[in-house]
Amino acid sequence: MDNLEQKFNETIKMGLDIVKETEEDRLMTLSVGPQHPGSGHFRFTIKVDGDYIVYCDPDPGYVHRGEEKMCEYRNFIQNIPHLERPIIHDSTNITYSYSLAVEELANIQVPLRGQYIRALASELNRQVYTLYWLAIYGIFLGHSTMFMWPMGDRELFIDLLEALTGARVTHAFNIPGGVRNDIPEGFRDRCLRQVEYFEKRLTEYEDIFYNNPLFRQRTEGVGILTKDNAIKLGVTGSVLRASGIPFDVRKAEPYDIYDQIDFKIQYMKTCDSFARSTVPFLDMKESCHIIRQLLDKMPKSGEVRAKLQPNPKGPPGESYKRVESGRGALGYYIVSDGTPKPYRVKISVGSFRNMLALPFLLVGSKLADMPSIYWSLNYWPVEADR
Amino acid sequence: MATAPKEFRFGNFVGSLIQLILWILVIVTLVGLPLIFILLFYVPLPPVNGEVLTPYLFFSMMVDPTRTIPIIKFLIHTDLFRVAVFPGFTYAALIAAATIFIERKFLAKMQLRIGPLYAGKIEGILQLIADGLKLISKEIIVPSGADKPIFWTAPVAFVVTAAAVVALIPAAPGWVVADLDVGIIAIFAFLGFFPLIALLFSWASNSKYPFIGGLRALHQMIAFEIPFILSALSVVVLSGSLNLTDIANAQHPYWFVLFLPISAFVFYISSLAELERIPFDLPEAESEIVAGWLTETSGMIYGLIQLGTYVKLYALAALFVILFLGGWSGPQIFPEEIIPGYTGDKIYNAATINAIFWFTLKTLGMIMLILLPRGINPRIRIDILLHTGWYKLIVLAFINIFVALSLVYGGILGPGGLLSA
Amino acid sequence: MSAGQSDTQSGSEQKKTDSDSTQTSVSKKTEIVVPKFEQDLVNKIVSGFGDKIVQVLHVRRGRTKIIVPPGQIVQIATFVRDTLGFDHAESVSGTDYPKDNQIEVIYHLGSYSVDDLSSQILALSTRIDRNDARLPSLINIFKSVEYHERETFEMLGVYFEGHPRNERFLLPEDWADIPPLRKEFRIKGR
Repeated sequence: MDNLEQKFNETIKMGLDIVKETEEDRLMTLSVGPQHPGSGHFRFTIKVDGDYIVYCDPDPGYVHRGEEKMCEYRNFIQNIPHLERPIIHDSTNITYSYSLAVEELANIQVPLRGQYIRALASELNRQVYTLYWLAIYGIFLGHSTMFMWPMGDRELFIDLLEALTGARVTHAFNIPGGVRNDIPEGFRDRCLRQVEYFEKRLTEYEDIFYNNPLFRQRTEGVGILTKDNAIKLGVTGSVLRASGIPFDVRKAEPYDIYDQIDFKIQYMKTCDSFARSTVPFLDMKESCHIIRQLLDKMPKSGEVRAKLQPNPKGPPGESYKRVESGRGALGYYIVSDGTPKPYRVKISVGSFRNMLALPFLLVGSKLADMPSIYWSLNYWPVEADR
Repeated sequence: MATAPKEFRFGNFVGSLIQLILWILVIVTLVGLPLIFILLFYVPLPPVNGEVLTPYLFFSMMVDPTRTIPIIKFLIHTDLFRVAVFPGFTYAALIAAATIFIERKFLAKMQLRIGPLYAGKIEGILQLIADGLKLISKEIIVPSGADKPIFWTAPVAFVVTAAAVVALIPAAPGWVVADLDVGIIAIFAFLGFFPLIALLFSWASNSKYPFIGGLRALHQMIAFEIPFILSALSVVVLSGSLNLTDIANAQHPYWFVLFLPISAFVFYISSLAELERIPFDLPEAESEIVAGWLTETSGMIYGLIQLGTYVKLYALAALFVILFLGGWSGPQIFPEEIIPGYTGDKIYNAATINAIFWFTLKTLGMIMLILLPRGINPRIRIDILLHTGWYKLIVLAFINIFVALSLVYGGILGPGGLLSA
Repeated sequence: MSAGQSDTQSGSEQKKTDSDSTQTSVSKKTEIVVPKFEQDLVNKIVSGFGDKIVQVLHVRRGRTKIIVPPGQIVQIATFVRDTLGFDHAESVSGTDYPKDNQIEVIYHLGSYSVDDLSSQILALSTRIDRNDARLPSLINIFKSVEYHERETFEMLGVYFEGHPRNERFLLPEDWADIPPLRKEFRIKGR
């Protein structure tokens, strides 16, 4: 017993967060930690009273790499490859916002065809990310088919992106000034064919996943985030739209050519986990329409990249630009001091903002609802850690 | 598999053949013959053509194979054969192994993928052997502070209980390991051990996630035992006997599933819950409580528990077939004699082979039906599960008991009824 | 060439608000047209608190930036929330300026409830002394700043008074070095 006391004292001195449980303590502390099939690279500590969660404390930082600090050591173009890594599946969106901010700082004009191709890659990436998210949601609920089907269909889009950019994930496709290369021959027809096939698959998804009574039982009425709370907590993306607020950055402040694309914001009013899992699905359907319009309206020829000096730089200033990514509004705040390297880059990601809703929703819910609430918040651990 | 084969030399090949023959001769003379002598001393074998069997007579049977038939017939009807081969352990283990493979392939086709492909020449058919070898070679990690006696014996007890349930199931008329007059009650008594084993093992694991998983297993299995028993009760009412062989024989013109569809449904759902299959696999919910009460199993302990689970799957599917689907009844498709005009001893009995064939076919069909929900449904939540088990299923089971009672008292079924044989 | 007071990014002129920004500034033209809606917003804040306290740094289409002294930030934030309608923080960040011996903490505020403001981001910033970096926290006004302020604490060493947990968040628990986003912290090997 003395040895145990000593060990506890040592660990408390080291500043770690272990709670000592006495025999009369009803609460059990569980660490849904990094080694858990239901958590990703993220840890949150919960205290459980029987089957109800009474306390939750998120603990991110397991994959923190210091992206923001690293940006200060590389010039504007060299920053693109490592900035993609926080969210490897949706990589064009996280570099899209960065490129927009740099273009404002250095006063670069992007040619029209480059803007269309950028938007096309962004939409394809959105599909890829949402399918991956849906697949993991399936595993969390124990539905193995819901894991396999989206993963299989995701391969179609990854093949398209590979034909377009040369890499399956982390494409390094957006650069300040446009995109790296033009679309290849035959891409347009192939893309339209895949999108048509995918829309048929989406109706099948609806049948087996969203109309499944067990899925509905597990997600309806679970984790209610009312409209006022959603605004106060500052959540973003599909979580916000599932609480009845029709806000989409592509419509609120259209960037590039999104003001010429006709699409509707998909939102639901029921504020529960089921709504949060349906809104990305509706977004995917809408994305298919957007992809078709982009392919139609694209100018037939033209430059895709602005001519840049080797080390682009602009006058001292700052810029804040945001883009709608798979998780929500992804904003970049870049301060430049006139040199080719940025002075400060701050990335505001959707996952980090949505993490605030996690302890708020988990407290008071059952332990079995933990996966369906946690993953419905569209949280990507690597992105939140940057 | 990645090494280049040695070059073929005929001399080496002949040498290896001669070595093989040498070893066969050595083993037969030094080990085989003494064994035969000891066996014959202790085991009473029947006389062949009026002569007592001696080893020399045994070797002469290689000349005239028909002389071995009485011996084989005798051996088939011993207890040891029933326990070890059919319908006992080997039969159940083979079906369990086939089930694991079928499950992986079947689910794979539903999920638009292929499943195991590389082990074995045809579509990964040796995958199970590869998995078994892998499990045997893994280290068994016992957590510190675990209760060692229970930790080591609980998986063995699991397999033993599952095997005990298999021992009560008849696969053909007259072929059952233990023919009890109270067959059904004995089966439910054995099934009642499983929650206890799960709880003991989870407690002995000395860890939080198994603890939660064990409690969930306890709640789940106890909640579904009552609808289980009630649905079997309606079958007992109709057939008038607790003996499983009698129940199977009583379904001679019409299968019970026609009169008791609701009971069959309740039995099916309850067996899914007993087996901890999706959608009822809360005790092993992977994304919430790591692996539930199986978290601390590794290596062969995990292998034993999986074996027990699939043997239990076979047992419950076979039970469903006997109770509701008429057991082994089916049209006679095997001919009376395979060698027409043969008048001596024979071990081929057309009725028995027919019964075994239909029984196996129906059991496999039932197993596929039990495997199916895994590809369709997510996992259920504990409060919905308890609500279903304690309220809805009990009510449904009672409805069918009343239906069965009214059929029997109305004189339609049961002994001396209109529709019974 | 002006530094882009008007946003010339996209080729369209369409806006959601009734501001009327921008001319494409062709070379050598230095005519700056300030967007009207954003100017109104800033004027409301300035008129509420006075010129001495609120200093406007830039007014562009969709983005406005004001700088206030650290003691007044709570009142101004309350005013911004109640009167103007900004209801959440998009991001909170800090920038280290060792030359001025100051750290600038900047809150980017957005609005979900007011339609006109949905494309607006108001940057509320303040400068504090680098060696004694303390700032009243805005957590009671905007709950959404909780994790962002905690991250700014650990990355820059700015202590937020009133914030319930000024603790490590993303950095490991045994981090023994100076706050990493300060300029004197050099990444090893560069």
